Amino acid sequence: MKSAGNDIVALNVIDKQRTCQPVFYSKFITPFELALYHQPQMAFEIFVWLLWSVKESAYKYLKRGDANLVFSPSKIIVQDIEVSREFRSDRWEGDQSVGMFFKGNVLYDTHTLYFKSIIYDEFVATVVNGENNFQYVYWGVQLIDKSDSVSQSENVRLFVLNKLNSLFPNYALSIDKGPAGYPILFNDGKEMDIPISFSHHNRYVSYSFLNLK
Amino acid sequence: MDRKEILSELKKVLAPYTESKEMLAEINEQTDLIKDLKINSANLVDIIIDAEAQYNIEIDFDAAEKMYNVGNCIDVISEKINKPA
Repeated sequence: MKSAGNDIVALNVIDKQRTCQPVFYSKFITPFELALYHQPQMAFEIFVWLLWSVKESAYKYLKRGDANLVFSPSKIIVQDIEVSREFRSDRWEGDQSVGMFFKGNVLYDTHTLYFKSIIYDEFVATVVNGENNFQYVYWGVQLIDKSDSVSQSENVRLFVLNKLNSLFPNYALSIDKGPAGYPILFNDGKEMDIPISFSHHNRYVSYSFLNLK
Repeated sequence: MDRKEILSELKKVLAPYTESKEMLAEINEQTDLIKDLKINSANLVDIIIDAEAQYNIEIDFDAAEKMYNVGNCIDVISEKINKPA
């Protein structure tokens, strides 16, 4: 299945104290996943939101193939997390000079997906793919001026269209949302075979898309 | 507590997480938490925890995943409130 899925969590607006309470994280993290936490790689609250971002990214990826899929984060189970040393080969739009990079795989029912995540001081961003090869997966993160939903929606579209216009300079690209809620890319009104995913949280917006050309 | 009363209390739970205050005042059972109220998905767990405190109930994994619109939230809360101890 060709699809795309990403997520971003703005760490500067999360409630760290609440995140670290079992009553909170046990709503979506399983005991198996808790055992993946190894200090001192990262603070526990960041681990919790890293797993959340992987699960949400996986849900978005799978939703494209199953419009009736309901987000069940406790059933989307992260199998493995490791520090990634391959990050620089990614089609990432953003600063690579700082941050921590992770990769791993996640299981939902019979579906295994692969993920890459980047953690900066203020955000954790994740992208997933159906193959353990991110050569054709484009993704990026941008800080915007305002955090209201209209600004988020407008800015994430401008951000991804700017990237897509650089890849398809003579196309008339536009984006609309399909009935299942995910964005669809059009060229001159005709749907393109490039799945796109958006995410935003507070003043951060992010995109991912799969371009096999 | 009937569905109307649960809905009234639910507005208080949702209020800190939505910028759409006008939409919140007019919510009905079909209102989608993310699409209509513009609630960020990262706050869904906060809403479940706050609802547990508000109604003195415990919402488990299976119930929590149904809470994507107001009607589903009321279903889950109503079932938990009315469950015999």
